[in-house]
Amino acid sequence: MSGTTFEHLKALVVEDNVHMRTLLRSLLTALGINHVYEAGNGADAFAVLSDKSPDLILTDLSMKPVDGIDFTRRVRLSHDSPNPYVPIIMITGHTERHKVEAARDVGVTEFLAKPITAQGLFLRIAEIVERPRPYVRCAEYFGPDRRRRADELFTGPWRRHEDFENDLEIK
Amino acid sequence: MTGKKPASRAPHKRAHAIKIPPGAYPVFSPKVASRLSQALRDPQVVAAAARVIAHKAEDLRVAVLGYVDRMEEAARAADLTTTFEQAHEIRGLAGNAGLVATGRIANGLCKYLDAIDRAGRTPDQTLVALHLEAIARAARAEDEATRLGDTVANELAALVDKKLAEINDSARRKTGRDAPAGGA
Repeated sequence: MSGTTFEHLKALVVEDNVHMRTLLRSLLTALGINHVYEAGNGADAFAVLSDKSPDLILTDLSMKPVDGIDFTRRVRLSHDSPNPYVPIIMITGHTERHKVEAARDVGVTEFLAKPITAQGLFLRIAEIVERPRPYVRCAEYFGPDRRRRADELFTGPWRRHEDFENDLEIK
Repeated sequence: MTGKKPASRAPHKRAHAIKIPPGAYPVFSPKVASRLSQALRDPQVVAAAARVIAHKAEDLRVAVLGYVDRMEEAARAADLTTTFEQAHEIRGLAGNAGLVATGRIANGLCKYLDAIDRAGRTPDQTLVALHLEAIARAARAEDEATRLGDTVANELAALVDKKLAEINDSARRKTGRDAPAGGA
């Protein structure tokens, strides 16, 4: 290890499986993040978020009684959320499209599929640190901009007001 | 913004979106971001983290075998909910336990049961039993990856895909639009 430590960085691991939770904690410790808090579900995690103000959250998707999707929704939208902008990496074994889309649509910042690799986790963290995305607030959504990449071939559909800002009004 | 913007108004309803740029909300300070970037790309740090994962593999394998026992127990008791929960734990851990084929088979079963549940249908007992048997055998094999595990995983994945297509087709016929069963 390089010996670098981040004395002021705090991370929260939300995972109901104790083995995976321990693994994730160990990976963050290997990176030099020593303040790693743990929660076994979304409800407990929200309490930790309020108490410890982590800078980064890693969360599982399926947990009881509050899963990763409901937890993320509460973090992003709840009036009592201490930090609606905190980066959230969702780590999941789910490959069902509807679950991934649901997680994206509540404002997850990054996804990481199991099995976990060091490179995979570190790439997601690097993405958050080096290329933080704008947040978008509209009637249906609050969270990181889901238009992640500038795709020159994209031809629509165009939905946002700003997409039309420079239009000539037809009278 | 992406691509070429439209020359005129599109028929879609416009969403009034407010964009909040990094900095207008709290981000990592430049100093911390720079140090983190260095650490994240430091070969020694990455290697240390990879060793952490390798070191945990045996513990995870033992844990997976425990979930397999409980999954089989639940299946014998015809408790599909618990069977699914245990299969879900297996798919989450098996890859990091070095049981790649086991994880793939468990993933196929979870995808199938999820689709069945969403479609409100009864699971094909033969397909479920085949998966349970394959998960148990693959997890308990000493060299699951080099024996038949991958072949069995591939064959079962094809079966699951066929079943998911059937569920989708059936739902499409009923609703006239895409069904919920597709996996990503």
